[in-house]
Amino acid sequence: MQIDYKLKDKFDPGIFLPVFILIIIGLTAIYSSTVNHPTASGNFERQLIFGIIAVIVFFVTYSIPTNSFRFIAVPAYLLSLLLLIVVLVAGKKVGGAKSWLDFGPLGFQPSELAKIGTILSLAAFLSRKNTNIESFKDIVIALAIGFVPVALILLEPDMGTSFVFFGLILTLIFWKGISLFGLFVVLSPPLVAISSLFGTFYFIVALVFVGIGLIFFRKDIFFSGSILALNLGAGFFADYVYKALSPHQQKRIQSFIDPMADPLGAGYNAIQAKVAIGSGGLFGKGFLHGNQTQLQFIPEQWTDFIYCVIGEEFGFIGSAATLLLFLFLFMRILKIASQTKDEFLSLTVIGILAVYFVHLLINVGMAVGIMPVIGIPLPFVSYGGTSLLVNMFMLGIVANVYRTRKNYT
Amino acid sequence: MKADSFASVQRKSIINIVIVGLFSLLVFRLFQMQIIQQELYDEKSANNSIKAIEQIPLRGVFLDRNGEVLVSNIPAYTLRITPAYYDRKLNRILETVLGVDSGYIDKILYNNRVYSKFIPIRIRRGIEFKVVSWLEENSEHLPGVDYIVEMQRGYPAGVMASQNFGYTKEISPRQLKEENDYYNPGDYVGYNGIEKTYEKLLRGEKGYNYILVDSKQKEIGKFKDGARDVSSHKGYDLVLSIDADVQRVIEKEFEGRSGAAVAIDPKTGEILAIGSFPQYDLNQFSYVTSRDYLAKLYNDPDRPSFNRATSSPKPPGSTFKIMAAIAALDMGVITEETTIYCGGGFTFGRFFKCHGGAHGSINVVHAIEKSCNTFFYNLIYKIGLDKWHDYAERLGFNKPVNIDIGEEVKGLIPDNEYYEKRYGPNWPRSIMASLGIGQGEVNVTPLQLAQYVALVANDGKSFTPHLVKGYKEDQTKPMIPLKFPEIDTGIKKEAFEIAKKGMFLVVQGAGTATRIRMKEFNIAGKTGTAQNPHGKDHALFIGFAPFDDPQIAVAVVVENVGFGGTHAAPIAQKMFEAYLLKNKLKEKQQTLPQFDQTLIGAKFAD
Repeated sequence: MQIDYKLKDKFDPGIFLPVFILIIIGLTAIYSSTVNHPTASGNFERQLIFGIIAVIVFFVTYSIPTNSFRFIAVPAYLLSLLLLIVVLVAGKKVGGAKSWLDFGPLGFQPSELAKIGTILSLAAFLSRKNTNIESFKDIVIALAIGFVPVALILLEPDMGTSFVFFGLILTLIFWKGISLFGLFVVLSPPLVAISSLFGTFYFIVALVFVGIGLIFFRKDIFFSGSILALNLGAGFFADYVYKALSPHQQKRIQSFIDPMADPLGAGYNAIQAKVAIGSGGLFGKGFLHGNQTQLQFIPEQWTDFIYCVIGEEFGFIGSAATLLLFLFLFMRILKIASQTKDEFLSLTVIGILAVYFVHLLINVGMAVGIMPVIGIPLPFVSYGGTSLLVNMFMLGIVANVYRTRKNYT
Repeated sequence: MKADSFASVQRKSIINIVIVGLFSLLVFRLFQMQIIQQELYDEKSANNSIKAIEQIPLRGVFLDRNGEVLVSNIPAYTLRITPAYYDRKLNRILETVLGVDSGYIDKILYNNRVYSKFIPIRIRRGIEFKVVSWLEENSEHLPGVDYIVEMQRGYPAGVMASQNFGYTKEISPRQLKEENDYYNPGDYVGYNGIEKTYEKLLRGEKGYNYILVDSKQKEIGKFKDGARDVSSHKGYDLVLSIDADVQRVIEKEFEGRSGAAVAIDPKTGEILAIGSFPQYDLNQFSYVTSRDYLAKLYNDPDRPSFNRATSSPKPPGSTFKIMAAIAALDMGVITEETTIYCGGGFTFGRFFKCHGGAHGSINVVHAIEKSCNTFFYNLIYKIGLDKWHDYAERLGFNKPVNIDIGEEVKGLIPDNEYYEKRYGPNWPRSIMASLGIGQGEVNVTPLQLAQYVALVANDGKSFTPHLVKGYKEDQTKPMIPLKFPEIDTGIKKEAFEIAKKGMFLVVQGAGTATRIRMKEFNIAGKTGTAQNPHGKDHALFIGFAPFDDPQIAVAVVVENVGFGGTHAAPIAQKMFEAYLLKNKLKEKQQTLPQFDQTLIGAKFAD
């Protein structure tokens, strides 16, 4: 295969430019939401510094030998598991979840690192020559690799991040080529688990659907029975997890079902976020002129509710344009994932895409009121150093894969 | 590579579809919220952060007919607490300084707990100046405590007409419910008297300042730099028909007495003075009314809160003889020449005594002059109960006067039906006799009496008595007059003229009130003494002056003192004097500066 040494062939501006614009949009929104805030006014400067570092991290990651990612996969995974355990013991509680490790003035969330570790090691396992995604054993191993960090993160408890892991595990095994039945086996327990949260009736309905599915696939009775038992277990497990959740997270789940039930309590953010975005209109109220934002109706808007600032001050045009930048980026990443012949790298890239996408879906979804308020940041836009560095590192991997995509056959 | 294996085209398409599908959902949702439902959210957003601060306008003042300020606005201090910054440890010291019961502040804070902690709460209005200076001195130790200047009523003319002027009071929950389109909790509204009747003119229009508040209701700044603010409009000033000088006379003369006095301009129905005594101190109601004062007021046996002028019906006594005379003359059952013999009494079933011995043969004019009972005992039977009742109603009795201050009673004028109800169909006709001299089951209010004498003075035509002539935007603008219904009794002028001759002689002849004769003008009147089963008689006097061109008609009722000519007529005289000799009195006042201003009228009358 010919290797083109032109820059255009080595570097995809279609990946870097939308993200660069998104970071600038994020900085603008952070500035707007913190400029009049008594305690958060330094956040813009901090984010600016992190942005510069993150761009450097991106280019470094872009430049290093592509094989490095394969080598760091397992160590990164083990390190993140270790840190996830440490954080449970010695972590700092932020927003009801013990997810923060403090190192003097700097701190970071091990779950961010765990995303990289999990993507890389899961991709590494799935891309082994003798891994058969149709074999029950390998599915279980793959799920185990994925769900060990999920379990640790759920203990913090950080539900939003757990969803991100669900998304990336599912996407990876799907991309690897799991059969429809395999997907059914993997997917049904979480669905049963979620429906059990809505009450016993929905739990039973979900189980009935699983039963119908099992009849449809016509596997032997012993196998079908184990699947059903697995689902049953998942339902009870979910109930157990729900009860183990901190009250503020339980309230958030409830408030999603009916935000007006407690308009000044848990539903408050959901309502104020919608008011902020809806009142933005077509063109928005203008930079620094959003009264919801400037008068701090939404607490800590610069983190998980940053999208409201964009929606209120830049209107439909601003918020839709932000979404289009993401869409463009995701299409590019998907294209790279499918063009890359190397299984490990392709799986890694699709995993990164899954992380970005789930983040975006939950974050924007909760801001516009179609998802429960489970705080996770909007990639590249929300305030937060760790998140920005990790996202840019992952983007660096994607760019790196693009650079060397023609080296594999 | 199988179709459903690693990174297949189908799998790429599925991911593609999922991504594009969910993006479309988000964009659709944004479109729905930001384009379709934008107005709804915009309104919510505005309600969130834009707050209207009410500007209470200045209440209109009361002016007398000559432009003297009777009721004004004076600044008063109100102590407020902003709960968010307030430390309840300060309760004790504040309560001591304010001189209120312990627990007073906590109670008010508790009642206002539903509002944002950043909204200042009024703790006490009308605090004393020394408290204000104490607040100023110690402000740094009193976080969350401040004071504002608000307006309260003042009475610079030294007159009150308490029950008639009325006072303002915090709006009642019931009225608030009925008129919630304008009023808010804590607003002050006219509670009685003129303050109540003319509330809508007096209150003005509230203004609104729009401010931006943050999520804690803390003020951030003005909304659009005040461009949307609506300034408040001051209430209209009321021009009362009251003459401050006459009002001052009655308020002074009735000190230590009970009763009522009303003076009316007979040509216009304008009330020149009105008072019910004893009265109460309106200053006590201007903001915070102490519970002690209220208790004292409501437990006082003399009932100062009761408006005797409009609501205390009493037998009119001999003042009602004029009514009977007019009725008989108008009906033609007597003429000026008709005489009736008075031998010192009248027998109808029983003997009715005439006072002052026998009057001999006497016509209607002299019967009025001498207040001959015998003449009127006879006359009532000539008139008949139905006609007498009819004339009483034509002259304004047995029905409310409809004065513009609300509360009043209609009194009682008996008719056949009334007696039948009370005593059966064969009620003794003898009880009618005392009606002729205004005794027995007949009750009229002082206001009705005043309207009656005004109608007599003006030959049966006048206007509904009223206290307010009109209103003006401010004292420099012309007055917008109010219209009041005309009254026409339909009684012949001659009947009034003959009756008035008698009233003239009461004062100017050899009548019952010759002691109040004046050299500057002629007074016509009629004394009355209403029997009081509970104590001394009530003294009454009705009259008008000058006789040739009546400008002031008065009714005076002094309770529990005795004879009308002795106790009621002199008060009327001073009222005439204050009104008709105003300029002369003023001149005198200038030449005798050493005299106390309020004593002038009294000195001159001696």
